[in-house]
Amino acid sequence: MAIGDWLFHLTELLRNTPLVEFSLRVSDWRFALWLQSHFYAIPAFQTLHILAIAVLFASTLMLSLRVLGFNGGDQSLAEAMRRYRPWIWSALLCFVASGIVLLISEPVRNMINAIFWIKMSLLVVAVGFSLAFQRSIRARMATWDASPDGHVSLRIGAVAIVLLWCAVMAGGRWIAYAPV
Amino acid sequence: MISNGIWQTIERSAFSSTIASSEWMFPTIETIHVIAIVTVIGAIAMMDMRLLGLASANRTVRALADDTLPVTWTAFALAVVTGLLLFVSKATSYMVNPYFLWKFAFMAAAGINMAVFHRYVAKGMDDWGAPGHAVPLNAKLAGSLSLALWIAIPFCGRVIGFTLGVYYA
Repeated sequence: MAIGDWLFHLTELLRNTPLVEFSLRVSDWRFALWLQSHFYAIPAFQTLHILAIAVLFASTLMLSLRVLGFNGGDQSLAEAMRRYRPWIWSALLCFVASGIVLLISEPVRNMINAIFWIKMSLLVVAVGFSLAFQRSIRARMATWDASPDGHVSLRIGAVAIVLLWCAVMAGGRWIAYAPV
Repeated sequence: MISNGIWQTIERSAFSSTIASSEWMFPTIETIHVIAIVTVIGAIAMMDMRLLGLASANRTVRALADDTLPVTWTAFALAVVTGLLLFVSKATSYMVNPYFLWKFAFMAAAGINMAVFHRYVAKGMDDWGAPGHAVPLNAKLAGSLSLALWIAIPFCGRVIGFTLGVYYA
């Protein structure tokens, strides 16, 4: 498979960077050893990671469905924004924090892994896109419910942000299946 | 437990071995399974937190149910279909794995909790959260139990990933 070859090649490139030495050093940290030697530690932090993305993703989905007019018609777009925005950003904080712990738990497996870096790139894009999407909602929400027609770009954005977070989750799952 | 034979027959069927022997099928189905479960947990947690008054306290419980139930059921259906496909490809390994069996016990408990909630507790739900109408205590208990179960379910799911092939019949 061509994509498999490309990923393999990408991982080969990572093997020639200082990341190798760095990730090996991280795996000797006391915290890394603690995580490795306690059977339930990694699944517990993975569960926190999943719960965080669950809050982040479901909040994003609800906000997008509200923009698209499928959901939450009893509240204004401004109210929906007030409801979901803080949850999206605090969940992102927990998502990143638990992710850092998972990175420390298996530094080599993650840092010398093309799919891990693809996931990180997708994460940066998704966060940037979320900021832009929310700014765009805020600019229009005052008049939105009076005239919700048009705004094609915002509707496309609502779909795109959901797909972007799906791509981040796909990246997370495929870290385990990277061709090495 | 039904004898190991039936799970072996399922696992050895042409359909199951296609999934098991493919390089991309299992991870791809798993990816859809993860996205579906994440959606289910997030949507259920919103409803539970409304029952507990921790979020969306300015909206009625009915409004939250209307928002979250279609999302929950759609994603749950997707999780069941993908979960079945993952299961048949390694049926014998899953059926001897205690974390898999716990995961299903917790899911059954979550299902019973939800059924009892909608059948008995949710009578009068249309008023809950409206001015002057508090959410009753048993509804809050159902919400707390649901939250706890939906934390235990992905935890068991994750441990399965570390213990598959460790247990034998």
